[in-house]
Parts: sequence; structure tokens; C-alpha cells
Amino acid sequence: MRFIANITFLGLLCSSTCSFGNAARSACVSDISSFKMSFQQQTDSAEEDSAKLKVDTTRFQPKSKRTVFSALESKGNDVDPKKLAIFPAITLQQYLKGEAAGLYVQESSGEPGTVQNMFIRGTSQPLVSPREQFATQPLVVLDGIPLVGEHPFAYDIQQFKFDRIGPATNSLSNINMDNIESVQILKDLGATSVYGPKGVNGVILLTSKKNSTVRKINFESYIGLAQPSAVTTINGKFENDFRRQFYDKYTANGSYSGVDSYPLYLSDSLNNDFYGPSNWNDSYYGNALAYSVNAGISGGSERANFRFGVGTTTSGGVGDNTGADRYNTRFQINMRPTDWMAFTAIINANRVDRQRNKNVRDRLSQVNYIPDLSSPIAPNNTKYSEYLAEFDKGFDDNRSNIVEGLVRLGIDLGKFKFNSTFGLDHNEGYRDIFFPRTLLQTTNYASNYYGYSRRIFFDNTATYDLKINDVHSFNFVVGSSFQYDTYKYNYAYAYKGSNDFIKLNLLQSDPNRSDYLEPFVFKRELVWKFLDKTRNNQISFTGRASYNYKDIYTFSAMLRADGSSNQQPTNRWFYSPIFSGSWNMKKDFLETNDFVSDLNLRASVGRMGRAEQFDNYAQGPQYTAFIGFTGNLIAPGYNGFGTLTRPYNAGAIPYGLEWAYQDQLNVGVDVAFLKNRIRASVDVYSKEDKNQLLGVPGAAEYGYNTIVRNGMSIANSGIDAAISVDILPSTNKVSWTSSLNLNFNKNKLKALPGGLSELIIGDRLLKVGESVDSYWLLKNEGIFNTDAEVPVGANGQKMSYNAITLKAGDPIWKDLNGDNMINNSDRTLSGHALPLVSGGFNNDFGYGNWTLSVNMYFNLGRDLINQEMANRFDFVNREGLNNINSVREITYWEKRGDYSKYPLYNPWSSSAPYQVNQDLFLEDGSFLKLRTLSLGYDLTKMMKKKMPKLERFYVYGSVYNVFTLTKYTGQDPELVSYTGYDTGYGMQIPRTYMLGVKMDF
Amino acid sequence: MKKIVLLSLIFFALVTGGCKKALDINSTRVVNEENSWNTMEDSRAKLLGVYGLTRAALADNNGHWIYGDVRMGNFDSPLRQDLKAIIKNDLKASYPVVQELSNWRRFYAIVNAANIFLERINEVKAKDPRYTDNNMTVDVAQIRFLRAFAYFYMVRIWGDVPFITSSRDGKFENVKRADKNAILEFVQAEMVAAAEVLPYRYSVNDIQQPGQYYNESEGRWNGTLVRKLSAYAVAAQVAAWQGKYADVTVYTKIVLDNYSRAAMAYSPTDYLAGRRGLFFDKNNNQLFAFGFIFGHQDATFVGNIESLTLAEPIVNKNLPDIFVPKDSILSIFKEANDGRFNIDSTGIVHSQLYFTNFLGKYPIFSKIKCMQDGSSDPTFRIFSSAILFTRLEDVTLLRAEALAVLGERQGAIDALNIVRTFRYNVDNVGATNSSYIPYSPERSGNLIDAIFNERNKEFMGEGYRWYDLVRYHKIVQRDAKFVQLINSGGIYWPIAQSLIDQNPELVQNSYWK
Repeated sequence: MRFIANITFLGLLCSSTCSFGNAARSACVSDISSFKMSFQQQTDSAEEDSAKLKVDTTRFQPKSKRTVFSALESKGNDVDPKKLAIFPAITLQQYLKGEAAGLYVQESSGEPGTVQNMFIRGTSQPLVSPREQFATQPLVVLDGIPLVGEHPFAYDIQQFKFDRIGPATNSLSNINMDNIESVQILKDLGATSVYGPKGVNGVILLTSKKNSTVRKINFESYIGLAQPSAVTTINGKFENDFRRQFYDKYTANGSYSGVDSYPLYLSDSLNNDFYGPSNWNDSYYGNALAYSVNAGISGGSERANFRFGVGTTTSGGVGDNTGADRYNTRFQINMRPTDWMAFTAIINANRVDRQRNKNVRDRLSQVNYIPDLSSPIAPNNTKYSEYLAEFDKGFDDNRSNIVEGLVRLGIDLGKFKFNSTFGLDHNEGYRDIFFPRTLLQTTNYASNYYGYSRRIFFDNTATYDLKINDVHSFNFVVGSSFQYDTYKYNYAYAYKGSNDFIKLNLLQSDPNRSDYLEPFVFKRELVWKFLDKTRNNQISFTGRASYNYKDIYTFSAMLRADGSSNQQPTNRWFYSPIFSGSWNMKKDFLETNDFVSDLNLRASVGRMGRAEQFDNYAQGPQYTAFIGFTGNLIAPGYNGFGTLTRPYNAGAIPYGLEWAYQDQLNVGVDVAFLKNRIRASVDVYSKEDKNQLLGVPGAAEYGYNTIVRNGMSIANSGIDAAISVDILPSTNKVSWTSSLNLNFNKNKLKALPGGLSELIIGDRLLKVGESVDSYWLLKNEGIFNTDAEVPVGANGQKMSYNAITLKAGDPIWKDLNGDNMINNSDRTLSGHALPLVSGGFNNDFGYGNWTLSVNMYFNLGRDLINQEMANRFDFVNREGLNNINSVREITYWEKRGDYSKYPLYNPWSSSAPYQVNQDLFLEDGSFLKLRTLSLGYDLTKMMKKKMPKLERFYVYGSVYNVFTLTKYTGQDPELVSYTGYDTGYGMQIPRTYMLGVKMDF
Repeated sequence: MKKIVLLSLIFFALVTGGCKKALDINSTRVVNEENSWNTMEDSRAKLLGVYGLTRAALADNNGHWIYGDVRMGNFDSPLRQDLKAIIKNDLKASYPVVQELSNWRRFYAIVNAANIFLERINEVKAKDPRYTDNNMTVDVAQIRFLRAFAYFYMVRIWGDVPFITSSRDGKFENVKRADKNAILEFVQAEMVAAAEVLPYRYSVNDIQQPGQYYNESEGRWNGTLVRKLSAYAVAAQVAAWQGKYADVTVYTKIVLDNYSRAAMAYSPTDYLAGRRGLFFDKNNNQLFAFGFIFGHQDATFVGNIESLTLAEPIVNKNLPDIFVPKDSILSIFKEANDGRFNIDSTGIVHSQLYFTNFLGKYPIFSKIKCMQDGSSDPTFRIFSSAILFTRLEDVTLLRAEALAVLGERQGAIDALNIVRTFRYNVDNVGATNSSYIPYSPERSGNLIDAIFNERNKEFMGEGYRWYDLVRYHKIVQRDAKFVQLINSGGIYWPIAQSLIDQNPELVQNSYWK
């Protein structure tokens, strides 16, 4: 009792001294809730029995959602981890794709372990760079640990921003689904509010399996084979024939002749490397293994128990010998030294090694040096194998250690409960590279990277249950949360080492020498070193009061105060309220109704702060060391001295920047009919992310690219629906459950800073009233075959594009405003990079001990720009410049896309006929995939006779990525990043055949 | 119970204190205003920052050479469509480089940084006793010069530009374009004012800069900063651009009378084209230059003439971005005895200082080739040549031009001959003679043509050609097409559409509407 008095008193004290009014507090302690979802059908039932045996540590958790709030949450939120666990995934995103309404997952490459994106209920920012991508990702909470992501600040020193420096491994490769008891996707503010500003994009809640008090062992394993799909390869002849068409049509002589500059590699038709067989795919594509072994043991007593698991998972990519290996271990211990106190400690440690692709583009952007690119890699396998063999002279090691740890102390004094959690997520990566001379025109390259993202947090909550009688009950929670995030990296790279045998950037180690610590294998002047670090601290205080009336009405009100070090001192704190309520209609007036077995209406409304991710916004007008320019971002100084200038390139940061915030309204209904045979959960939401920062182009006459200002507001509204029907209930011999989850989302830009109605940023237009994921395109209507076809305007001038008179061979672009001049005002916003509708359609069949599941994944109303084809046709410009865009990969020799779709324009025209931003390259990227086809057999009953302790024995065989239905003419439409431009760099997501077994005993 | 209350009081006082502290993070990535104008190190960082921004503005997209050499100049491009457009004066072509070069933002960064410096430097003076009056005077003069220089550069490119001489921090009003002539008057006055207080050199106890400048010796500063003669030399260019040739003679005379005090000399042809010659590193002969100093890790892959011009066999790049076609070379280098390029009647090239691989399809313009630390290793295309804005030969030929225009024919010929002394001193097989071939109308044509032809040869690849062409055609008024271009404003670049979009006060140059 003294504890509690203490705590409440301290709470009051702190609230007054921190001067944020009488806000009470609560923390983001995840409730290890065991809210059993009735939603998705279980594939087996053995777990049910064992659940009774488990020690109920949850009683030490604040009753946040467990009792009072279960009514406030959508029943469509839950995903069954048991079903997910049979998928051969290495990342969380792969597990969750298409599994929950409102969660959209992008797997833009089949290369294992690469970064993937998730968006819950649309995007709150225009997705143009990794910054926005980082700022729109949902928070993942593993057993109460809010996981830290990889901060994009390292991109600041990167000339080419394809991948972040370092291992660029997906930091959510640390989830072993076999350890997970429940997965919940929290979308509305009523559910996410406890997680504070970091959860403003939605929260994915992962809860591990509980410890058992009797000895239990679990074992899971699978082995699978990933198979590449067939590709059509082409050689120099194909490319030559393709190009000659343009030369014959548009060169000065009327046909190709010796005076035209023509690439050397295509000039000699006797050159077997380019004109011979194109069989590079034998070395590039290949079958890959995917396998996993996991085992766990749990045991102990009521007073003390533990669970320990180890596992390893390998996921092979079918292209370029890529792959990822994960080794993971997890240990959890619960102790109850006295009846009123419990103690939990968890460690989850993962090591992920990644074998990366050997793309020229990715290598050169890492190396930051562009060799002569006039000839691509030859399509001949002999040549290509020779090239690949050169990589063996060097190395490219990518390692990540992802460790989470948590210590929790719970005190239960009946009505008072107190919970204190201290935790850490430490996520470090290493990348060590040596590329031999042969790979870079006789210049070798070495690089070393070490970086980490670390979050340390300390959460406290106190709850008080007040049950007046059977009718009225209250619950009060106050909490505080302290989060300290640190992101850091050390990075160095060097060119021109003395030979290919010393692969390290060695430093002089004798402290007596004048060149102590200077590099001696690589030239001192050609060694670049970088150190960078950024921190972000957040402190939150929360208070919540809930009221429950006869389990029929539930109301909850929460008040938060969040302070972030990334906000300016004058606007450091943000105060926000969140209200939610539910009405259990079934209990209220349908108690006796047989048809309706459940009917619950929910609503939540509230506001949540959205803290900035970069610390420079907190500083106001400032100075940076940047004096770089196009092609050289890392100019270290002037005359050997560091310099300080205003952040002209990054944008002016004024004083008085405010918090951005989200307002969200969610109304949902959970309903079940016919003894739960038909279950549905439908949520309608309207969320608006307001007052967000945007770099508004301006102040160019003061040197700035942009001025950073508050005021961008983006709304996402739509419906999340999940419907599940037991067409044939599981009591029958044959059972069939069909479930559909889908999200319909409409994105709309509501406001721009300063009341602007539209804004051009790069090649994008942000226009109030339109969606931010639309492309800004010219409308293509064919080709001018002769100069005479070019229309003449009222002023007697021929039609022009940006003041360039159009000629024969130029495209006909629709002149929207009729001024006979094609320019930006003739561009329209069209298409959506993010789908309007996305979801999954799952069917589970059962026959005796057999189960068959068929999972489909679909995107509708999504459009892509086929940049790969635009690049092919725009060969004149792309090869004229020797820059990163002139790179042609080995997959250049793969035939993709439909060449006949595009007119033959004059590629030499300065009106850029094959510019990518025209609707000629816009395509419908909708698709339907049969993602999983899985057949399982439950051997439990059969084996139980021999092994009485056996609880579950399940074997299964599956095929993944069976087929894709799409109108898109390029590669798999899924293989496109958040920008919607298909560069062709996505690696195949392979079809995988698998056999697996799961055992609990 | 009392004890507990007391303890908890103490505990929470600590927590809330920590609360504020935890949220006040001093960024390690940027410096805020509070920590910005306190010490001498701050003023040095800000001063050199303005230099750095100027270097960045000139180097960005190789702008200095594309504006100066590529636009309607001697060069042609084998493959690059964007450069081909610029060669044809097709400056609205939709290529990223063309659009970027139409944007003046990076020059206004110099102006803004300079304006802030001039407004805030007093704070350093007040706070740091080590920061002397003289140090501040010299710093301010350099900053004023650099600001004027940025305006000069912009006026040459765009004509009328917005004229802003204060930082207006936080309230960035949109400004109309101001008359170019008025700006040039300001520029010239600022440069002369700066010239008057700047030293001939730094850290050599010059009367105008006694002692060690920022505690560094002369070797550190040689050639890197604006000196008295740099200011006069650029002022001479400003005056010439305005057609004020009388002023040109005044400023050039100061430079030519005093260059030995600045430890300068004329460059022999070998030194001019040497890998470790005039353009390499930093040296006093770089009268006004922005260095990419290898030893300071400044060397870069782009932002230099080499990245445009060099290719096989000098470096391992297949084709150059730009080259001078053979016919042009032959028509420019018509005079014999020229050490820069020398071809005899049988077609044998005796001097390869300017061009390598003359007989190939694309002769490589190899006058400037500072690779790495001045080595001849062709395998790594990192370059360390300075952006050299003016040098002694430029000042001398400007003087010749001015005197010729003003009718002082003999003075002009004398000045021209000074440069010829160092160039026309080889025999017909390329060996250096002790004497040189002076100017004569028979050999070199009329005087104005000879001076401009000499400029064309001497400064090829140094970003002069376009401005020389404009001045030449203003003087001779022969080429009707070019005169029309001058009169209609076609000699200016269009203003980037993105600038017009964001500043409604701007009006596009009429020629490019």
C-alpha cells in the first residue's frame, strides 16, 4: 500500500512540476493479453488444452485491454500466428502480407532480408524519399518492447540513395513466428493510444508464447526449395535490331551509317560475347533452399518458470546467389517470489547474415565512383561467370545483431497494480567490403561500416480498479514512459589499395611514428571517414479512466502529454485526448436472439502527436558543414578547414515549428451470426494527419531549396472489413472456412503550408484535393509523323514543348489548356502508387485430419510507371551520360515488357519523347496472387498412442507464390518500391515448395 | 510515512530535472544560433563557408565550364544530348543539367551567407578578444568581394537578377529582378573597396594583414583567398563586361605593376599544361581560384573540366563528354611556333600540350589534367585542378583589349606580346627557342581579332569563351546574328521554371518566353 501511495503522490508532483496540467499518465506497456480471437479458425486445437496449464502472469499486467478494453477493440485485428508460422518468411512483413485488413505490405524485391515497407491505413506523407518511408512505418511492439527502426540520417552522405549504407538488412528479420502467441494489428487511436506518438502510424503487437509450468518441448522444422520462374533472354542482336529502327528512321542520312556514334559492343556482330548465346541466366538464376529448425523448452513451477527457444532459418533467393540466414535465441523467465510480486526477464537475440545481390548499380552507389559504363556485362555465360568469379577475390559481409531485452516488475495489491518495465532494443549492423581491382577498372575498394540503432526505455504504470457494484466498475491508469533513442554509425571507405591481397584498410599502429593511425595500404587522401550520431528522446505521461456499465457500455478517456527532443523548445510538449466507447448490443437487447450471436458497436476518436524524426528541426535556424554540390556531397571543407553555412540544400528551418498530429475517428462493428458461423468486423475510419512539416520550395533568392513549414495535412479515409464464414463448420467431417479481409483507402491532400493550393516538388505535384500518391503525367496521344502534322497556334507558332518546337518524330501530348504549348500545366494527376483496395482471401478446408488452405493476396486500383521500358527506349540519353542511370545490369539481357506498345519516337529530340512521366508508361498494376497452397495432416491422435505426452504433431506440404494474375506488362507488379516507379530492380519472388513438421510434447 | 514523502520528493525532483535535460539535446549534426558566432573559429568556418559555397556554385553540374566553354563554343559532344542542346543554345531543352544550370539558387546561397556574415561578425568581435580589428577588416573585405563576385557571375548568366544585400532571416520576401547595370555598378564599387583593404598575400606581414592569418602560415593560404590583385583583376573583368574600358586600364595597370609583390609570374606553356602545374593544388599564380586540394581530400570526380574532357588514353574512359573537333583545332591554332599546339605541313603534331590523340576520331583536350596528386595514373578519375577564374595572362590580355578599344594601339600590342613571349617560342618541331614571334598583322590578323583569338587559345577550357564572344561581338558588331542575340537578350540563360513557380515577382527573360 505504501508503494501505491508513493507512486500516486509522485505522479501528482511530477505533473505539477513539469507544468503540463493535471494530466495523468500511463505507459506503453504492452498487455500480454490473451484475448482469444474467435475470428480466424484454428488449424489445430491442441493449444487450447495446454492454455489451462499455463501460469497466468497476465494478472500482473495492468488491465488495460484485457478486460475493460477488449470490447473496445476490433475483432478483425488479429492474425493467427500459427497459420503464419508455416510460411517460409524471414521478415515480419512477409508473414503479415495480405493477412490483416488495413495493413498493406510492400515486398519490392524477392532478395531475402531486404527492407520492406508497411503502411497501415494509407500514407500520411508523400512518399518521395527514405525519410518519408521511415516516418510512415508502423510501430512494432514485441512483448512490450517498442522496436527501433533504422534511421535514414545516413542517406545524407550518400550520392546515390538506393540502399542505406551498412548491411541494409530488414530490422524486422528478428521475429520467429514459432515463438509468437498472438499478432494484433492496431489501427485506430483507441487501440494505439497507449503507444504514444511512435504508434501514430499504427501498431503491430506481437506477443510471445507464455511459459509453461510443466515441462514442454516444441519443435518445428521445414525445408523448401525455391524455384526461379523462366525468363526469356536476349542478346546483342536483339538490342541491335531494336536500336537500328531508330537510326534508320531518324539519323541524318536516313539510315544508320558509320558517322553515327554507335556503342562499340553492338558494332561488331561477330563478337561472340554479345552476339553469341545469351545464357547468363544459368549463372544468375538458380534453385535455392529455404529451411528452418526451431526448438523450445519450457518448464518450471507456479513460482518460477522459463521458456527457452533456439532456431535457425535460411532463406535463399533465386537470383544472384542471394540469401539470408538467421540464428535466433530467446529466453524468458518469470518469477513470483511473493504472492503479490512478479518479475519477468526476456532476452531475444538474433543474428542475421545476408548475402547481397551483385547489382552493378548497388555496387557503384556503394563505391561512389562511376567507371566507364559504355559496355554492359556480356550476356554470354562464360563471360558472366568470369565476371562473377572476380567477386570471390573480395568480400561483402553483411551482419546484423538484433537484441531485445526486457525486465519487468509487477506488483499486485488487489485493486492496485503497479508495473515497471525497463527494456532495450539494440540493433547493430556491420558491413565489410573489399572489391578487387578487376571489378572497378583496376581500382580496388575497401569499406567498413558499423552502426547501431538503440532504444532504451523505462515505463511505469499504476492501475486502480474500482468496482462499485455489479453494474458500475471503473479502472484508472496513470503512467510514464521514457524512451531514449540513439542512432550512430562509423563508416570509412578507401580506393586504390596497393594490391588485391591486402584487403583491409590498415592503419599505422606505432604510436611513435608521425603517421600514427594513418592508413598505409590505401592512400591517405583516398580514404574517407564518417562518424555520425543522432539522438531522440521522448518522455510521455498518460492518464486514463475507464468506466464499464454491466459489460454493456464501456467508455474510456485518455489524456497524454508527450515531449520530444526533436521538437523545438518552445513547442516541446503535446497534449492530446483520446476517447473510446463501445456498446455490446447483443448483451443489451439481443441476449435471447439465436440468429445474432454477437453484436458489438465501437467508436473511438482522438488526437495523437506525431514527433519529428530528425533532430535538426529542434534547433531552429542553424548551420551545417555541407558545402557539397551535385556529384560530390561530401566536400569535407575548404582549404582543409571545416566550414559552417546555413542548410541551403536541406532547407531553411525557422523558429516556431509545431508538432504535427493526427486526428482519427473510427467506428466499427463486430458481428457474428448463426452461432458464430458468420463473423464480420467492419471499421470505417477517417484519419487526418495535420500540421505536418513540408519543405516548401521557396526563398531561392536567399539560397535555400525549400523552407520547412508546418501545415501539410493529409487525410486517409476508408473501410477495413474482415468477413469469415464457416461454410461447412468444423463439427462436420468436411469443413470449409472462407475469410476475406480487405481495406479500401482513399488518400487526399487536405492542406499545404501557408494555404497554398498546389506545390511542385521535383517531378511531383502536390495538389489540395488530390491524393499524394498520384503521378503527374503528360497525356500521350501518338506521334507526329511529319513536321506538317504539328499544329500551328493562333500566334502563328508551331506547337512547342517547354519552348522547344515539336517536330516529326516527337510525341503528341494532349494540350489541356489549348495554348498550343505543352508544359507543366498540361500534366494531370493520375493513378495511385498505393492500392485503393488491398487484402487477402483465405480458404481453409478440413477433412478428418487433413487441412488444406488456399491463401490469395490482391491489390486493386494500383498503378505503376514502367520505368524499365522508358529506360530501354530512352537509350540515347541514358548512355550519353556516364552516370548511375547508364548502368545496365545483367538482367538487361532479359526480355521484359511489351515493345510493341510504344511508338518509335525520335530519341535524339530535345523534347525528351521517352520521358518517364507520361501516361504512355502508366499501367494498371493490380494483381491477384495465389500466395499459399498448403496441405497438412494432423498426426496427433495417431501418435498419441505411442507418445502419451504428445500434444501436437502436424506435418504439411506447401507451395508458395503459385501464380499471379495481372494486366501489367513488366515484371511481377509487386516488385516495385513505394514510389510506384518500376525500375526493374526487383528480384523475383520465387515459387517455393516446402515440407514441414510441427511438434509439441 | 513522512520519510517516504520526503524521499519521493527528492526522487521526483531529480526525475523532472532529468526530464528537461533529456529533451534538450544539442544536435551533433548541426550548430544552432546560440553556438554560432562566438569565437574566431566560428568566423573562420563562416568565412571559408562562403568560399566553399562559391566553389560549389561554380562546380555544380560542371556549370563554370558549361556556361563558359560549352555554350556556342569550340566544343562538341559525342553523346551527351544535354550538352549538345547547350552547344546549340537550346537552353530550354528538357534535360536535368540544362534545367539545373538555369537555376540561380546556389549563387544566392553565397549572397545569403555573405549577408549573414556581414550582419553577425560583430558578435565574434565582441566576444573573442583574439579576433583583431585587422582580421575583421580583411574578413569583411573578402566577404564583400565574394558577394559582389556572385552578383557579377549571375548578371553575366541571367542579366537582371533580384538584388538583395541583407539576410532578411526568417522573412524571405520575394524580390523582383533589378537592373543589371545598377548591380554591376555596385559590384565594381564593392570589389574596388575590397581591393583597397586586402593584402597582396596572407601571413607574410603585409602592411594590410600583419601577422599570421588565423594562426596559419603563408603556405596554407597561398592562392586560396582573395587578395588585393585578385580583386582588381576581377574588377577589370567587371568593367570590361560593362564596356568601361577606361576602368579596365586602371585596374589592370595596378595588377601588372604589382604582381611581383604578390609573388606571381607569367606561366610558361609547360607549366600551364603541367599535371602539377598552374592548375594543380594551390599557388600564388592562381590569381583568383577555388582549389580542390588533393592533400586536403578535396579532390572530386565531378566539378572540374577534366571530368568533361578527358578520356582514353589519358584516363580510362571510352569517350569524352566534350571535345574540340579537328577542324576547329586547325582553324584556331593557325599560327606556327605555338607551344600549345603545333602541327606541321605534313600533318605531324609536335606539341601535344593542349590536345592528345589528335589523329583519333575525338582529339582529347588535355591541357588541364590534374589527376589525383598530379600523377599520370589513368585508372582513377579523381581530379584536383582548381577552378581558376582569372590569372595574370587574363589581366594582360584584358589590358590589351582595353587599350585596343581605346585606340592605344602600341600599348595593346605590347600587352599582347607579353603573353606571346611565353607561347610563340617554339620552332616547327616543338623545341623551345630563346626568342618569340611577336604580333604582326600579317601573321595574326587585325589587332582586336588577334587579341580575342589569343584569348581563345590561351583560355580554352577555363570557362572564358562565351563571355569573350559576347564582348568581341559587342566591339566589332560584324556578325548580325550574334548582335541580334545580344540585343534580344538571347545571350542570357532562361530562368528555371521552378524559380518562377515559387516567386511570382519573377518574369522570364523575353528571349526565352
